[in-house]
Amino acid sequence: MKILNKSKLEEVLNRLGENADVYVPMSKGLQSGFYPWKSLEGGKDELMLDALNVYQPPKSVVFPQTERMYSLYQEGKGLKIEETYENDEPRVIFGARACDIKGIICMDEVFLTGGYEESFYKARRESTTIVANACYEPGPSCFCAAMGVDPLNPEGADVIIRDTGDAYIWEALTEKGEALSSTIKDLLEEKELSVPEAKPFIQQVDYDGVAEKLKGMFEHPIWDRTSEACLNCGICTYICPSCYCFDIQVKMYGHEGYRFRCWDSCMYEEYTREAGGGNPRPTGRERFRNRFLHKLEFFTERYGHPLCTGCGRCIVVCPAGINITSIISEAKEADLDA
Amino acid sequence: MNDFTQQIQDIASRLLDNGQVDVFIAWHKGQQDFQVQPYFARSADEAQNIIFNDYSIHNLSNSLLKFRDSKEKIGIVVKGCDSRGIIRLLEDNQIQRERLYIVGICCPGMKDPLQAMRDELGFNHKPESTELAAKCNDCIQPNPVIYDELLGTEQSPRVQDRFARVKEIEAMSADERYQFFEETISRCIRCYACREVCVACDCRTCIFDEMRPQWVGRENNTTDNLMYHIVKASHMAGRCIECGECERVCPVNIPLMLLNQKVIKDVNELFGPYEAGMQYVEGQKPPFSMYEESDPDDFL
Amino acid sequence: MHDDHKCNCEQPLVPGIVEVIDIKEETPDIKSFYVKNIDGQGVPFNVLPGQCAMISTPVGEGMFSCTWQEEQEWLQFAIKRVGLMTDDLHRIEVGQQLGIRGPYGNHFPIEESKGKDMLFIAGGIGLAPLRSFIKYCFKHREDYGKIQIIYGSRSYADLCFKDELFDLWPKEKDTEVFVTIDRPEEGWDGEVNFVPTYLEKLNPDPANKMAVTCGPPVMIKFVIQALEKMGYSDEQIITTLEMRMKCGIGKCGRCNIGSQYICLDGPVYNMVQLRQLPPEW
Ligand code: SF4
Ligand code: SF4
Ligand code: SF4
Ligand code: SF4
Ligand code: FES
Repeated sequence: MKILNKSKLEEVLNRLGENADVYVPMSKGLQSGFYPWKSLEGGKDELMLDALNVYQPPKSVVFPQTERMYSLYQEGKGLKIEETYENDEPRVIFGARACDIKGIICMDEVFLTGGYEESFYKARRESTTIVANACYEPGPSCFCAAMGVDPLNPEGADVIIRDTGDAYIWEALTEKGEALSSTIKDLLEEKELSVPEAKPFIQQVDYDGVAEKLKGMFEHPIWDRTSEACLNCGICTYICPSCYCFDIQVKMYGHEGYRFRCWDSCMYEEYTREAGGGNPRPTGRERFRNRFLHKLEFFTERYGHPLCTGCGRCIVVCPAGINITSIISEAKEADLDA
Repeated sequence: MNDFTQQIQDIASRLLDNGQVDVFIAWHKGQQDFQVQPYFARSADEAQNIIFNDYSIHNLSNSLLKFRDSKEKIGIVVKGCDSRGIIRLLEDNQIQRERLYIVGICCPGMKDPLQAMRDELGFNHKPESTELAAKCNDCIQPNPVIYDELLGTEQSPRVQDRFARVKEIEAMSADERYQFFEETISRCIRCYACREVCVACDCRTCIFDEMRPQWVGRENNTTDNLMYHIVKASHMAGRCIECGECERVCPVNIPLMLLNQKVIKDVNELFGPYEAGMQYVEGQKPPFSMYEESDPDDFL
Repeated sequence: MHDDHKCNCEQPLVPGIVEVIDIKEETPDIKSFYVKNIDGQGVPFNVLPGQCAMISTPVGEGMFSCTWQEEQEWLQFAIKRVGLMTDDLHRIEVGQQLGIRGPYGNHFPIEESKGKDMLFIAGGIGLAPLRSFIKYCFKHREDYGKIQIIYGSRSYADLCFKDELFDLWPKEKDTEVFVTIDRPEEGWDGEVNFVPTYLEKLNPDPANKMAVTCGPPVMIKFVIQALEKMGYSDEQIITTLEMRMKCGIGKCGRCNIGSQYICLDGPVYNMVQLRQLPPEW
C-alpha cells in the first residue's frame, strides 16, 4: 500500500499547492476552519489534521458565503450582462472528515440534480479534489453513523488517508484522486501498515423511522417547547456543512454593478417575508420547525437521506444549547396523539 | 450552587402554584454535564426541572422580548449583569414592571458552556480551561440592581482594569488599528447572533433587516462587515449593559465587547459618567433615547 | 411535470435580456408588460398556462406568472406594485430592457381538463395567472365544455382586463362571466359581494367540472370551503400557491412547503396534493 509519512506532509501540501488552492483544517488564533494552506503563518496558526472537526466546515470552498454571479450594466433603456463569474480554478480540500464531505454530497444533489445544474456551484465543484481523513475515534458530539455516514470510508472522497500514527495510508479512489497522487508520487512510499482500530461512538442516536414519523408531527406540541430557547440566530445554519440556503441580491454603483448570491438562513424572519410584508413563518417557532423538519424529514423525502450528516457542530455552537440529537430522540419518543 | 437550585425551584413552584406568574424563566439541564439551556417552566411540576449551576450563564432578560406582546406574568432569574438588562427593557417600555417577578442572584461568576463545549469536543486545539468565563472576569456589577427577592450574599466586582483592552487599541497607530479591525472584522460571518442574543437590541425591525432601503449590504466582505459593526456599536451607545453575551456567543470570536466598551468609554468621557441600566427610575430615559427641541443639531 | 417546458440553458441563474414593447395600465396598481427578444425576433422561451418567469431589473428579481404568450410575438406579464422591485418596474417605459429567466414551475392541467366544463374563480391580481388558462381554453375552444368565470376585486377600478371581462369574453361561445366588487360604488349596478359568497350564490353544478381558483390566500381558503360545500371533489379543485422566491429552480430553499419547492414542483396544485402538504400555505 501507499503511505505518506507525516514528515513529508508539508512537502506534499506545498507540492499540491503548486497547481491548486489547497484548503486544510487549521487553527487561526481562536478560530478554526478550512483555510488556504498558503495562509498558514508559522508560530500563529496550526495545522489541525488530527482534530476531528474544525469550526468552519469546508462548505465554503465549493459554496462561498458570498459569490458574484454576473455583471450588470445599464445604459439608458439598455441592460447588459457582459460577464459571468463561474470559478473553475483547481482546488483541493485536504483532510476533510466523512461528515463534512457528506455535506458536499448533499449540496451536489441540490445544485446538480432536479432538472437544473447550477453553473456556479458546478464550476467550483468539478474543479475540486477531495482528500478525506478517515475517523477511527469519534468525538463526544459525533453521530454521523446514525445519519447514514461511514466515517471509515467517506463517500465522495477522491483520496482517503488513514492516520496510523507516524504515517497516513494513502488510497486514491477516483480518477481525480489518481491524478492528484501522481503529482506527489515521489513523496509517497510503498509499505504495509495496519489500519487503526475503530472506537465506538459515544453519542447514541436512533434516526430509524424518524423521517416517516415526523410527517405526522407538523402540528405537534414538541415544537412549542423545543423552540422556546432558540434565539433564531442562525449560527447553526451558517456553521452546518450541509445547509445550503442562499439569497440573491444586487449591488449597483450608478450604472454598473453585479448580482451576487450569499448564504441565507431559514432561521431568519426576512427569509420568507413577502414583498407585500406577509410572512408564512411569522415567529421563531415556525422557523425552528422548518429547519429541523427540512433536515430530518423534507430532505429525506426528496433525496432519500437526511440533510444532517451528524457532524455535531450545531450542538457545539448553539448559544441556547439546542441539540439536534435530542430533537431526534424526542421525535422518536413523541406521543402522536399529544 | 445546588443551594441556589433548590431555592429557585421552591420560589418557582410557589409562584406558579399560587398563580402569581404564568411562566418562570430559568435554566434546565442540557445533554452534556456542562450544558444548560434557558428553560420556561409553566407548572410547579416543571419547576422541578430547573437547575442553577456554574454554567447558568445566559442572560435570560433577553427572552422577555418573546413576551412583550402577551399579557402573561413572568418570573425570571437574573444575575447582576442580567438585571441591568431588565432595566433596559423597562426603560424602553418593552415590558411592564408589574408583570415581572424578579429573582436576583448575587453572582459568584460563571463558566462558559460554549467554551467548555469547544474544549471538550476538540474543536479547539488548545483548550483554554479558564476558571471563569471571559465576560465574568470583566464584571463590574455582580449583584442584581433590581429584584423582588435576592439570593446569595453580595459579591465584589471582579474587574481589574475595565478599559484595558480599549486602551491597548487606542495606543495603536491609525494604520495598526485599521489593520487590527480589518483582520478581526473580516472574519465575521454576519450570522447576527450577537444581535439576537443582545437584550439592548430590542427594536422590532432592526435596521439590518430593513429592505426598503437596505442600509447595509448582505455581502460578506470587509466593507459591509465593518458597516455592520460600526452601526451596531453606535446603536449600543448608552444601551449596552455589559453582559458580554454578544462576544460569548459569536462563533468566530469577534471581540464585540471591545467595540461596546470603547463606546461606553467615549460616552463617559463626552457626556459625563453614565452606566446603562444601573438604576430604574420610572420615566427616566438613557442618553441618545430622547430628543428635545433645544438639542444642538448642527451636525445634521 | 416540468420537463417538457424547461429552460435548458447552461447557466440557469443568469437571465437573458428582453425588451418591453408595450405597457398597459390595467388598474391603478397593476400594469401589463409585453416583452420580446431584443433582436425583435420571437420570445425567449415558450410558456404553458400557469408557468412563471423570473424578471429582473437592476433593483431586484421577482417571480411572475405569465399572463399570456402570443405565439412567437410576445410574453405578457400583469404585475402589481407591492414592493421595491415592482415599484421600479412600474416606473419603466416602453423600450426598456429587462432580465428574464424561465419558464419555471409546472402548469395548469390543460390536458386533464379536456372535455370538461371549466369554472374559473379569481380575485384581484389572481386573474393574471388564470387568464393564461382562460385564453388557452378559448384558443382551443372545441377541447373544453362550458366556461364560467367568476371574478371580483375591491372596486371597479381594481378590476383587471376590463375589455375582456365586459366585452370580449362574454361573447365567446358557451361562456358566462360574473363580475363582483367588494363595496357598492356609484355607477356600478352589478354584483356587490365577496368572491366566495358570490360563488355560493351562483352555486355552479360540480358535474363534469374543473374549478380553478387564484387570488389572495384568504379568498382561496374560503373559495375552497365553498366548493367543498357544493360537492366538488378534491380532484376537481385546482389552485396556485405563492411563496417568496429567489432562485426559481429548487435550489435556494426558501419557497418550500414541506418537501415541495413551489418554484419547481408548483405553483399549480389540486386539493388532493395540497392535503398531503403541511398546512403552511
Ligand atoms: S461525525 Fe463522523 S465523520 Fe464527522 S468527525 Fe465525527 S466521526 Fe468523523
Ligand atoms: S438552534 Fe441555536 S444556533 Fe440555531 S438559531 Fe436557534 S439558538 Fe441559534
Ligand atoms: S444539522 Fe448540525 S449535526 Fe447535522 S450536519 Fe448540520 S451542523 Fe452537523
Ligand atoms: S460578530 Fe459574530 S455573532 Fe455577530 S454577526 Fe459576526 S459572526 Fe455573527
Ligand atoms: S425559489 Fe429557490 S427553491 Fe424555490
